[in-house]
Amino acid sequence: MSHVLEIRNLTKKFGDFIAVDNMTLNIGEGEIFGFLGANGAGKSTTINMIASLLRPTKGEIVLLGKNIVKDSKFAKMNTGIVPQELAIYEDMTAYENVSFFAGLYGLRGAMLRERTEEALAFVGLGDKHQSFPKNFSGGMKRRLNIACAIAHLPKLIIMDEPTVGIDPQSRNYILQSVRKLNEMGCTIIYTSHYMEEVEEICTRIAIVDHGKIIAEGTKEQLTSIITDTKEIWIGFRADGAISIESLQGIAGVTAVRQEENTLKIVSKSEVNNLNRIIQQLIKDQVEIRSVEEQAPNLESVFLTLTGRNLRD
Amino acid sequence: MAIWRIALKEILSSVRNRQTFLFMLALPIILMLILGAGLSNAFSSKHSVGEVRLLYQATFSENDMSAYWDSFTKAIGKEGVEVVPIRPGMDWRQEVSSGRYTAYATIDKEGIAFFGSSKNTVESGILQGMLVAFADRYALGTAAFQASPGVGTNILKHAAESKDFIQETTLAAVRKPGSIDYYAVSMTTMIALFSIISANYLFGAERARKTAIRLMAAPISKGEILVGKMIGNVFINTLCVLVVVLFSKFVYHAYWGNHFWLVLLALLTEVLLAVSLGLGIGFLLTKQEGSYMVVMIFLQCASFFGGAYFPIENTEGILTLLTNLSPLRWINTALLELIYMDNIAAVWKVIGLNLGIAAVFLVLTVISIRRREAF
Repeated sequence: MSHVLEIRNLTKKFGDFIAVDNMTLNIGEGEIFGFLGANGAGKSTTINMIASLLRPTKGEIVLLGKNIVKDSKFAKMNTGIVPQELAIYEDMTAYENVSFFAGLYGLRGAMLRERTEEALAFVGLGDKHQSFPKNFSGGMKRRLNIACAIAHLPKLIIMDEPTVGIDPQSRNYILQSVRKLNEMGCTIIYTSHYMEEVEEICTRIAIVDHGKIIAEGTKEQLTSIITDTKEIWIGFRADGAISIESLQGIAGVTAVRQEENTLKIVSKSEVNNLNRIIQQLIKDQVEIRSVEEQAPNLESVFLTLTGRNLRD
Repeated sequence: MAIWRIALKEILSSVRNRQTFLFMLALPIILMLILGAGLSNAFSSKHSVGEVRLLYQATFSENDMSAYWDSFTKAIGKEGVEVVPIRPGMDWRQEVSSGRYTAYATIDKEGIAFFGSSKNTVESGILQGMLVAFADRYALGTAAFQASPGVGTNILKHAAESKDFIQETTLAAVRKPGSIDYYAVSMTTMIALFSIISANYLFGAERARKTAIRLMAAPISKGEILVGKMIGNVFINTLCVLVVVLFSKFVYHAYWGNHFWLVLLALLTEVLLAVSLGLGIGFLLTKQEGSYMVVMIFLQCASFFGGAYFPIENTEGILTLLTNLSPLRWINTALLELIYMDNIAAVWKVIGLNLGIAAVFLVLTVISIRRREAF
């Protein structure tokens, strides 16, 4: 598989702060590459450098065989970015938005009209092309946000949290669109705070922490990293605060997080500590409703490797 | 090509923004009307003379004097002056102060005492002038009478026949701006300077909408984005200024002089100055709120001291410095000199000054953009 994107020893500093630290990564043609990292991990900085929005302090990024700093125009022509926040003009129609941005990529005349209509039809807004985004739902705006990035048919599409704050129906539509774009030959870099989305659509995933890639591979490759780990989910009645610290002190427990009425405890699989965990909860007067032992998933991998939740 | 695409987008967005149009068009047009109508007296060089009524008390010891007075009152009566002797019980002070009479005069052997109304100063002045002329001719007649009775009688006789008790001498005055003329200029230049607001927000709006990311990710240079946005902004603001000028010219009949194209050129350079200032401040002060505040304070001070709301003249000390610092002061003075005194050189100086300052702020903007990774 040829590489669409090669990142070599990439470093980005803001003053003394190192946002991206000597990162090396290759993304192959036709991949949907997932970028996972908590806030401040260096994920957005990396994406911004790939999109030529930031200049690397050190190292290089090669897109389709060309250095993106030296061949900036070529790199930009072949890249499309779907920013996390909506980047559209509310006072321009859907058609005008897509046409304006596509026009900046050199499209003209009949070709511009054709590509604009295709992009709008692709995201399901073909019949809304004369409507203003202010009359759109959140999901429709997100779809328009995508259309603005794909009309010039880029080889590489960077999607930064494209499904934030939308209804499940629109989310499914967007995920299907991502797959379709990939089938059409686009390579996609995809970031999300929704682990299940990344698990569902990404062919390969990198976990970023403190500006470095700490793990990289397919979902199966990543979960195999933590065969010595189990995850225990304990449902409880939420009356008072749970003492996370007391649970973390139990032998074998590597991470504990609370998600509403469920405690998710990552523990070393060889240590039989379930009894001690339950005893501690009873001691803390927690009313236990259910106990389940889960097979390792991407979320437990992330938690084990970074010690943080993806949403932290 | 991307430059024109960005410029067109800027124009389209501005045209669709009703608030901008209301602000840039309705505000100057309405203010022109309100201030022009409300302060018309402050600018007028004409005065309509109202009713002139003289209340008098005369005690004549000489027949000639009495006859001459009668002739005089008849003569000025033909000119529209009503001359009424005071009746017993009348209080002349009250009559004059209430405005029923323009002035009160006593005529006796001691001479003429005149008490004019402070309310109707013009009419009062006319009466005073008439009485002075009357007194002068009477004094001349009586003096001549002592030397040669025939000549004196002749002078007094013909003096009364004369109608020109007031000899008006008017200099051929240069044309002066009326209130609408003044506010047509000052409101137009004010609105041209207001271009600073939209220019200040040109890139701030892209940052706020996050569309700056897409612009930066597109295969176009920062320079193309800057030039495209500037062209669009200058075009739309110049269009607004042009509409205001034409509206004032054809609807309010404001006088714009004989060098209309030069006036428009000066206004265009003022828009350029404002847009460059707005952009410069927007990039030098990174926080949009702080930048907006500076712009608004500057605009209010520049408008006030520049004479946008009323002419500021005969200033001293710090006030002179403040008025001279206002771009509106320069442009208003130059335009008024061009329109009313055909002083072309004054406008070229201001055009040069506008372009010079605009260039400085543009250079600062370009340096700031080049130093930044993003906008």
